Amino acid sequence: MSTAAPPQKAPPPRERTGGRLSNGAFALLLTAPGLALFAAIIFYPLLSALFTGFFKQDLRLPGREFVGLDNFTYWLDGDFLTILKQTLVFTVGATLVPFVFGFALALALNTGLKGSGFLRGLFLFPWVIPGVVVSFLWMWIFNANYGVLNGVLMETGIIDESVAWLGRPGTAMIAVIVTKTWASFPWMMVMLLAGLQTVPRELHEAASMDGAGSIRRFFAVTWPQVRGVASIVLLLEFIWNFQHFDTIYVLTGGGPAGTTETFATAVYQTAFKGFDIGRATALGGLWMLLLLLLVAIHLRITERKGDA
Amino acid sequence: MTSTTSTPLSAAGRPRPSATRAERTTRRRMRKDLLRSRIAAWSAVVVIGAFGLLPVYWLLVTALSTPESTFQFPPKLIPTDLTLSNFTALAENDQLITYMVNSLIVASITAVLSVVVATYMGYSFSKFRYRGRRSLMHLVLASQMFPQALLLVTLYTVFSSFGMLNTYTALVLSFTTFTMPLCVWMLKGIFDTIPDALLEAASIDGASRWRTLHSIVAPLAAPGMIAAGLFAFVRGWNDFIFALTLADKEKQTLPPGLVSTYIGEFQTAWPQLMAASLIVSIPVVVAFMFLQRYLVGGMTAGSVKS
Repeated sequence: MSTAAPPQKAPPPRERTGGRLSNGAFALLLTAPGLALFAAIIFYPLLSALFTGFFKQDLRLPGREFVGLDNFTYWLDGDFLTILKQTLVFTVGATLVPFVFGFALALALNTGLKGSGFLRGLFLFPWVIPGVVVSFLWMWIFNANYGVLNGVLMETGIIDESVAWLGRPGTAMIAVIVTKTWASFPWMMVMLLAGLQTVPRELHEAASMDGAGSIRRFFAVTWPQVRGVASIVLLLEFIWNFQHFDTIYVLTGGGPAGTTETFATAVYQTAFKGFDIGRATALGGLWMLLLLLLVAIHLRITERKGDA
Repeated sequence: MTSTTSTPLSAAGRPRPSATRAERTTRRRMRKDLLRSRIAAWSAVVVIGAFGLLPVYWLLVTALSTPESTFQFPPKLIPTDLTLSNFTALAENDQLITYMVNSLIVASITAVLSVVVATYMGYSFSKFRYRGRRSLMHLVLASQMFPQALLLVTLYTVFSSFGMLNTYTALVLSFTTFTMPLCVWMLKGIFDTIPDALLEAASIDGASRWRTLHSIVAPLAAPGMIAAGLFAFVRGWNDFIFALTLADKEKQTLPPGLVSTYIGEFQTAWPQLMAASLIVSIPVVVAFMFLQRYLVGGMTAGSVKS
C-alpha cells in the first residue's frame, strides 16, 4: 500500500533531508510526547479502573482487598437496569430534541432569510457559554418559589400553583433534557447549516420545475445531501450525552429519589459521596463497555467516509 | 422583501406572453411554495428563537435586578428598577478574584501545552505515512469519548497517590485529557491544507525536517494553532467537574468556585450568581467571536472529515 501512494503524498527523499532517522522513526518521535501524555493521564488511569472494579477499596484509605465479581453483581442485581434506562432516556431525549430544533432552524436560516447571519451568531450564545452557567440559569428559571417559568405559567392560567420542576420525580428528567437541549441545539444548527449549504440551489430549482412539492424536495434533494452530516451529528451527540455529567449533577445531582441518576452521576456519587472506589469503577467498567460499542460504531462510520 | 433567492421565474427572462399554460401553472405553484416556505421558516425562527433567547434575556434581567425584586412572585418580566450593584459587588469579592486568576493560569497553561504537544502529533499524522498511524489516530479520537466521570475517579486516585491533589499541575493534566485529542485533530486538519510540495522544496533546499517544521510549517499554521489554543482555553475555562473534584478552595477555578460562593444551603443569591455567570461567560463569548471561522471545521475535525 505504501508503494501505491499518490505522488503528491510521497515523503521527501530521505537522503536529502540530512536526518539520521528514517521518516517513519521521525514521525513516531513526533508523536512521542503526545503518546506519553495520553498513556499517563488517560490509558493508565482507565486500565487501572478496570482492575479496581474487582477490589474493595475506600477512597479515603490506602490498600484494597480482592473481592472478585462482588462489585459487579452489586450493580447487576441492583440498580444497573434503572440507571441504564434513565441514561438512555436522557441520552435519546437530549439528542433528538435538539436535533429537531437545530434542523428546523438550519432549514429556516438556509432559505436566505434577512439577517440570518446575525441570527446564527445570536443563537450560538447558549452553546458557547460555560455549561455550569447554563445549569445555573435554568435552575433559576425552574425555581419552585420564584422561578420565571412558574410565574409565566401561573399568570397565563396554565397551572394553578407553583411546580417544583427539579424536585418532582415526574418532571425532573424533562427539565434536565430541556436544559441540555437549550445548550446543544445551536451546535446542531451550525453543523446542519454547513451541510445544507453544500446542497446546490440548482438541484432544488430543477426538482421544483419537475413538479416536486416542498416535502418531496426535502426527501429527494435535501435529505440525501445532509444525511451524512446528520448521522455523524446524531451519533456524536449521543456519545457525548451518554457520558454527560455537568447539567444533571448541578441541576438535580441525580435526584429526586434517583430519578435522574445516570451512569455519570452514579459513578461520581459512589466514588466521592460513598467513597466506594471499587463499586464506582465496577459500574464505570460496565458503562465503558457500552460506550466502546458506540465509539466502535462511530469509528466505522468515519472510516467509511474516507480518510486522507 | 427583496428576495435573495433567484427563482427560475425571474431567471427565465422569457417574455411573459409566450409562456405556455403549463409553465404558468408551475410558476404559480412555485410562488405559493415559496410563500409557504417563508412562513414555515419564520415560524421556526420565532418559536425556537424564543426558546433560545428568552433565557438569555432573563439572565441579563436577573443580573441587573435588586435582591428585593428578584424574590418577588410572580416575577416582573419587564423590570423597572435596574442596578449595577451585583457587578460592583463581584469586584469586591477577593475569593472570586482568586478563582478567576486560577482559571486564567490553568486554562492558559492547558492551551499552550495542548497546542505544543498536538502540533507534533498532528504534523506526524498529516505529513507522514507509517505503520500504526491509523491506529494511533483512532486511539486519539476514541480517547475523546471515554467516560469523563470514570476517568475523574481514577485520576483522583492517581493524583492522590502522588500527592498532587489541589495543584495547578493536576488541573492542567486533567484538562489536557479532553483538550489534547481536540487539538490533535484540529491541527492535523490544518497541516493537511499545507501543500506537500512546500515541504519537498524545503528539503531540496537543504532544510532539516525539524527546521522545516519549525521555521516553515509552524508559521504557516500559526492562525490554526492559535485557534486550537483558544478552543483548548475555552474548554479548560468552562470545565466544572475536574476542577471541582481535584482542587480545594485555593486552587479551584471559577465554575466550581461560583457554586461554593453563591449556592447556599437555604437561599441562593440569584442576582449575584447571574452577574457572576455573565462575567465568566465574557472571555468565552469573545473567544468565539474570533473562532467563528473555525467553528464548523474545528468542532467536526476528526468526526466529519471532508
